[in-house]
Amino acid sequence: MHINPLFFIPKPVLFLIFFSVLSVCKIVKDEAWALDLKALVRDVEQQYMGESSVSQTHMQVSTKNWQRNLEMQAWSLGRDFFLIRIIEPAKERDIATLKRNREVWNYLPKVDRIIKVPPSMMGGSWMGSHITNDDLVKANHIDEDYTLRLIEETELHFLIECLPKTDAAVVWGKIIYKVRKQPKVPELIAYFDESMQKVREIYFDDVQTIGERTIPLKLTVLPLDKPGEKTILFYREINYDVSLDEHFFTLRSLKQR
Amino acid sequence: MLFGLAYQNLWRNRRRTLLTMSAMVVSVSLLILALGIFSGMFKDMLASATEQYYGHLVMAKPDYHQRRDLYATLPDTILTLPTLQNPEILGRAPRLRSFGLVSWGQTSQPVELLGIQPLAEATVTSLHDQIVKGRFLEETDKNCLIIGWGLAEKLNVRPGDAVVFVTQAADGSIGNDLLTITGIFRTGDRRHDNNLVLAPLTWLQNLLVLPGRIHEVSMRIHNPMTASVLASRINAELNTEATILDWGELLPEMREVISAYDVSRMIVVIILYLATGLGILNTFFMSVMERTREFGILLAQGMRPWLIRQLVLLEAMILAIMSLIIGMFLGGLMTFYMDQVGIDLSKYITPVTYAGGTILPRLHAVFDLGNFLTPAIVLLMVSLAASYLPANRAAKLNPVVAIREE
Repeated sequence: MHINPLFFIPKPVLFLIFFSVLSVCKIVKDEAWALDLKALVRDVEQQYMGESSVSQTHMQVSTKNWQRNLEMQAWSLGRDFFLIRIIEPAKERDIATLKRNREVWNYLPKVDRIIKVPPSMMGGSWMGSHITNDDLVKANHIDEDYTLRLIEETELHFLIECLPKTDAAVVWGKIIYKVRKQPKVPELIAYFDESMQKVREIYFDDVQTIGERTIPLKLTVLPLDKPGEKTILFYREINYDVSLDEHFFTLRSLKQR
Repeated sequence: MLFGLAYQNLWRNRRRTLLTMSAMVVSVSLLILALGIFSGMFKDMLASATEQYYGHLVMAKPDYHQRRDLYATLPDTILTLPTLQNPEILGRAPRLRSFGLVSWGQTSQPVELLGIQPLAEATVTSLHDQIVKGRFLEETDKNCLIIGWGLAEKLNVRPGDAVVFVTQAADGSIGNDLLTITGIFRTGDRRHDNNLVLAPLTWLQNLLVLPGRIHEVSMRIHNPMTASVLASRINAELNTEATILDWGELLPEMREVISAYDVSRMIVVIILYLATGLGILNTFFMSVMERTREFGILLAQGMRPWLIRQLVLLEAMILAIMSLIIGMFLGGLMTFYMDQVGIDLSKYITPVTYAGGTILPRLHAVFDLGNFLTPAIVLLMVSLAASYLPANRAAKLNPVVAIREE
């Protein structure tokens, strides 16, 4: 009599095998999605930052006590190097910030000194705006420090939830990333604190085509714990893929005018 | 007549009286010394919090103490308010506060910077007495600062070095300037030594773009224990946007500690006197038993029982008062020594910061009337209570039985 070999395997074990094969498939599928999202986030960022860039930016900061306007010039290389220098107002001309990897340095022309921002001050405001030093350092590492998950896909948007990896030293409890599909540009980033309270939103608008890139030129930071306050960044001019190398982003060039 | 009799009775058994008296003298004098040292410790603690930083009274915008809002400022003309000229107030120091970074070479440290007027500040806080290197700020100093000892260690700076201070000014701009260190202070309170720097007020007003503005007026008063009463009295007179907080409101833990101390003082007094009281009880029972026959004769001759009771109680009182005089003198002498000289413990322990104040590593006593009065009054009460039973026994003797007693 012919006996089905599977017949000898007890039924529960059979189920177990069946389900484990199934779950492996599922993991592979999730992994594929995660990779996809990483690529998506990187893609959007790449579009925004380019391999390298030189830009002129206007920053307007409004708080309940004052409003100020800054004209700045910025250079960037990849995601690790970044130099920004104030052009106006005259009182603060040549104050500059250098980001190298995960360190931030400030140059103060009045006293002719370079100051490294200590870890305890990374949460502090950058140039009086609603952007923190931490943002400069960590904003471009979302795909490394967070686990990404697609929570909604509509005809126009992707909605991506970013939850911090257990070993990542990050300040946010959750980030929600809203990306437009066509053109592929960021539209909104919402930041949540550890108690999952929404504390900040960044809006992107004024989408323009610069050369072969399509990017939003205006970025609005709204701190939700300080109603009425905001920081608006506006790119007046931006050039991509200029020839810059790491040597440009040194403490010495931070001091040069 | 009764008093003379009582006094003479005391010396009929000289040795026993002297022994009891010495026990009372020792307990009174040691108690006075111990309470003096206790008080000294708490005075050090209170002083470290108030005289090294807060002051006894602080006038500021109502929620400035909690929020430390840069914009919650007052005009510096507030110093001349007539209500602040109260004779109870010994010193008034205007201050402007800023939080920022002090940087030297590759190191930066977050700090609290107080803009002060050096002469006025010296009338309120004692930081000028705690300079370990260099000197305190002077009125003519401009770009100068004094820095806490721990902070100086971390930055590896010494007087003469020029450090950078960076902060955000009131108009949103980045305030930054070079400041020369004139001195280093050391209070023993780690939070201040590691975190506090002082610079001239006018310099800070310019840096923060807050000309003529201050955050608070810190005040020293004659008697710190009356601070809350004085604060509410001045607050009632004040007709401005500012209010005055006393140190008890600034440091609620400290107030708790001090009232807990009042309770523990009573507990120590009671424990020590319980032992002394038993000694007195014993002495007087003995002396009454010995004199049973004598009391019997007195009663038989027509002496009133209440007079007998009074006689024994009087003996106890005389003994207590004599012990008190000697004990208070000795206790005062020891307190005086501990006040003037004290015992330095810095070799064995480091300063302990507790409830917002710092306990210095020293045994040091202070004179406080309460520390003399409490032991004295309680000793008198204990003597009366302890001799009441023997006195009662003597008064209730049956003359017929008593006379027959051998």
